[in-house]
Parts: sequence; structure tokens; C-alpha cells
Amino acid sequence: MGKSVTIGILFSTSGPYAAIGRDCRDGADLALAELAADPSAPVRFDAIHADPQGDPRRYLDEARAMLGEAGCRQIVGTITSIARKEVIPLIEKHDGLLWYVCPYEGFEANESVIYTGACPNQHLIPLFDYLMPRQGKRAFLIGANYVWGWEMNRLARDLLLEAGGEVVGERCLPLEETDVERLIGEIRERRPDFILNNLIGPASYAFLRAYHALGERDRAFHPERRPVVSCDLTECELGAVGDGIAAGNLSAASYFDTLDLRENVAFKARVAAAFGAGRRVSAFFEASYTTVHMLAAAIAETGSDDPAAVKAAVHGRGFDTPHGPLRIDPRTNHAALPFHLGRITADGGFDIVASRPAMAADPYLTARMKGGRGNLRVVS
Amino acid sequence: MTQLPELVGWRAVILHRQDESMGRMVRQLNRLGLSVQVQWEPLDLGRTPADIVFVDADQGWCGLLPWEEEPAPLPVVALLQSEAPGRVAWALGQGAGAILSKPVVASAIYPVMVLAVCVHLERIANAERRALQDERIRMRPLVHGAVMTIMSRHGLDEDTAYRRLRRAAMGRRITMEQAAGEWLAGIVPLPEAG
Repeated sequence: MGKSVTIGILFSTSGPYAAIGRDCRDGADLALAELAADPSAPVRFDAIHADPQGDPRRYLDEARAMLGEAGCRQIVGTITSIARKEVIPLIEKHDGLLWYVCPYEGFEANESVIYTGACPNQHLIPLFDYLMPRQGKRAFLIGANYVWGWEMNRLARDLLLEAGGEVVGERCLPLEETDVERLIGEIRERRPDFILNNLIGPASYAFLRAYHALGERDRAFHPERRPVVSCDLTECELGAVGDGIAAGNLSAASYFDTLDLRENVAFKARVAAAFGAGRRVSAFFEASYTTVHMLAAAIAETGSDDPAAVKAAVHGRGFDTPHGPLRIDPRTNHAALPFHLGRITADGGFDIVASRPAMAADPYLTARMKGGRGNLRVVS
Repeated sequence: MTQLPELVGWRAVILHRQDESMGRMVRQLNRLGLSVQVQWEPLDLGRTPADIVFVDADQGWCGLLPWEEEPAPLPVVALLQSEAPGRVAWALGQGAGAILSKPVVASAIYPVMVLAVCVHLERIANAERRALQDERIRMRPLVHGAVMTIMSRHGLDEDTAYRRLRRAAMGRRITMEQAAGEWLAGIVPLPEAG
């Protein structure tokens, strides 16, 4: 049996984006259980769990407790960019390492963070590359009222205008805002080719339900004609939206439960054994699971949880994951990730309609700038 | 050497959620001789008069500062942790003359304030200079008209007519444009001798 290392698992499993937090926690817990059950595992984790309930200040308090009295040097967690940015200064101060597993809006590459979720060149840009020629270039942009929504909408606007398209409307809503009738009215009036949904939590669920109702009344707003597309809507939130309600709409992700890979089949069998046969796995679950295993492998390799040594180990090797081989780019600390586009099915899963192999993360989108590192987009 | 602004006695308003780091910032501003109000609601200069404003550009929304598209009437410092270009653009759009990176380091506050104040004063000076130049460009046809009239009335070539108008303006310490306008209007005579 290997040495014991204390790590923090910091996800909001209650509050407005609890569904995402629970999948992140469950993914981490499955990996922790596998490591604990493996007598040959070179590392044993003592995991400290905390639920900041979506409150940035509680993220800070919980992270402080983990890094302070609990003596963690590694924290897997935070979901929103607000929470991540809240915690980062503390991680830096304590010379720790944060493992961030969620897709986000990019424009960050902190040396104290390993990013295993996708950034825009791995989700939004390939999504628009796929969508604009097929669906049209007139989009309505909606987003959560913080940096995720604001920045994703700004990037989307740039992509549309560059392609000669048009933003026919834009609106940002707080996470808890469920009064979406005015927004639905605007969409009905302006008839966009598609709607980019960067809403989070209850606002997103309310919007998807109201848009479904609009589509029922008026076929012109059926997802086949005018889909809602997202970069963070996964299996774990479709239940909160309502059974079948979001069917036909599209999501981009680095992983879907339906991914037809040998590694994924084996992984899902382990998930089913732990959580029951009906459990669908989201990109959040998979990224969190993968991240805990990566952390264990890196600590095993270096024999220490020292962040600099762990980072060096992570940079120097590849990892096998349910979505295929994965590498962390030493330049950016970001994972190279594949792109999959899924169409939501009536039974709460995704039909994968387009894919691209793993591509390097380009968090500052340097490849899009003149003088950048060349085009990182992988052409399908 | 550049004249540095005297900040003692200034009133600072910080538009940011109250937290530990704001406490640190308030204490440092107090040490520098400023009075400080922290609030997380739109700025109303009538209710909260201020000489400098710090604004949270990570979370700030349009309408938090009352001047929207207008130039900021006082120095603005953006408090920013995000690197998102949209947030930087927002800060610039609100008139920020300097960005103070979060978490705020106490030693950065004074230099950043000085920068924001100097940038603000420079903007005001530039705006005034531009307004003056715009007016002169607008009045340029008057100068041309005056020179043409002087040429024909006094039988002079263009250079001489121009010099005579300029001497008249200099003698009365007014601009060429003003002298031209006044002369054409018959308010003042042009010196006859060259």
C-alpha cells in the first residue's frame, strides 16, 4: 500500500449549479474508490470534501481550510470562473495546485492550475465552424450574468461577424432568474438561425423549458429548425430541465456518455457497478474522474505531492482516459481535448453528430491573431 | 519632472462587494490620506461626491457608473482579476485610466492612483486642446476670406496679406481666426503699415 496524501474535493453539490457539482463529485469519488480498492495503488488519498453551495466566499473559506489546517496541497474543484478566480490567489499563496475540470471561457493559464476542461478553441470555435455553414449565421446570444456568459457571447459575436454573420439579439440573465418570457418573445420576433445558450443553472433550465413550449406552439422554433446550442449542457442537467424537454438541441463537449470507444465501454461498466445501470456519465463526471487518476499517477511517479514535481510529472507523460489518450500542454497547463457535437435525445443522452480528434488548448486564442502560432483548428 | 497629484484629503469611492481585501484597500487609502466609501450599487455622485473611483471590472455591469458613453468626469481605476478581453474592454469603456490587479497588493495602490489621475488630467487637457483646434479648423475659411479681401483691397500678394493679418492678431493677443472674423465684420481696422 502506498503513502497517504490529503487532497481537497471542492464542488458545490447544492445551490444553483448543484447538478454539475454532484457529477464532478461523483466522478472524483469513483476514482477515489478505485484507488482505495486497489491494493497495488502506490498512492492512498485521504479526500476532504466540501460543498460551498455556489457561494464564492464559501469557496474561499473551504479552500482556506483545506490548504491550511488540513494540509492539502492539491485541490480538485471549483466550477464557475468566479469561484476559480476567487480561490486561485489562495492556491498561489499556499504554493498549492488547483485541478479545474470544467469547460470555461479561456483567457487564463495560471501556473498553479491544471485545466482538464475545454476552452473556446476546443468547444465554441469548432461548434461555430460546424454550425454556421449548415444552420446559418444569424444568432441570438444568451448567457449567465458573469464572465462565462459575457465572454462566451463576446467571442461568439466576433466569430459571427468575422464570418459575415449577425447577432440578432443578446441577453444576460442571473443564474436564478427564471422569468424568461420577454427573452422568448424577442427570439420569436427576431427568428435567429440558432440560439447560443451560455445560461447557467435555473435560468438555463427555465429557458430550455420555455423554448420547448414555444416550439410546441410554433414549429418554426422546433430544434430541427432553430436549435439551442450550448458548450456546457451535458447529461447531468437534462433531468433538471425535464425529461425530453431539451431533445433535438445541440451541445459541444469533450466527452459524451454515448462515445463509442473501448475505453468508454469499460469505464461505463465501472460507473454502472458503482452508481447503478441507469446512470449517464457527463463530461464533468468523466473529467473529474480522469483528473483524480492523473493526480494519483503523477504523485506515484514523483513520490511527493509537491506541486512543482507533480506538474513536471503531469507534463512529461500521457494518460489513458475514457475519451482516449490525454496530454497536458506544459506551455498552458491545459489538456488537449477532442471535440464532440451531440444532439440531445428524448431519453436524456446525446447522439454524436460530429467529432474532431484531440486538439491542443489555445486559451488566449493566439492562433486566431495575426502572427499567432498558426491555425490550431483541426479540419474534419 | 512630472508634477505628481496631491491626493491627501481626496474622497475615494470603491464599487466592489465588501470583503477582506476591500478592508485592506480601505486601510491603505486611509494611510494615504483619502476618505473611502465602499459600496456595491450604482454610483450617484450627487449622493456620494468623489474625487476618484475604483470599480470592480470582474463583476461590474453597464449602469454601475453613471456616465455610460460619456467621458468619465473623474479618475477611474479598474479592479481586475479576469484576463478576459471583454472585461478589459468594459473597464476601458468606463473610462479606466489604470488597472489595479486583484488580489490588491497595498503597495500598488498609490502608483496606480497617480497613473489614473495623470491619465485623467491628460485626457481633459487633450480634449480641451482638441476642442480649440476643432474651432480653429471650423473658422479657417474666415482667415482665407480675410486674406483674399485684404489682398484685393490693399493690392497685396497673398503672403503679405497673411502676414499683416497675423501681425494684427499678435498685436491684440488674439487668434488669427478671431482677428479675421473681427476684421471682416468691420469691428477693428487692419494696421495700414507693413
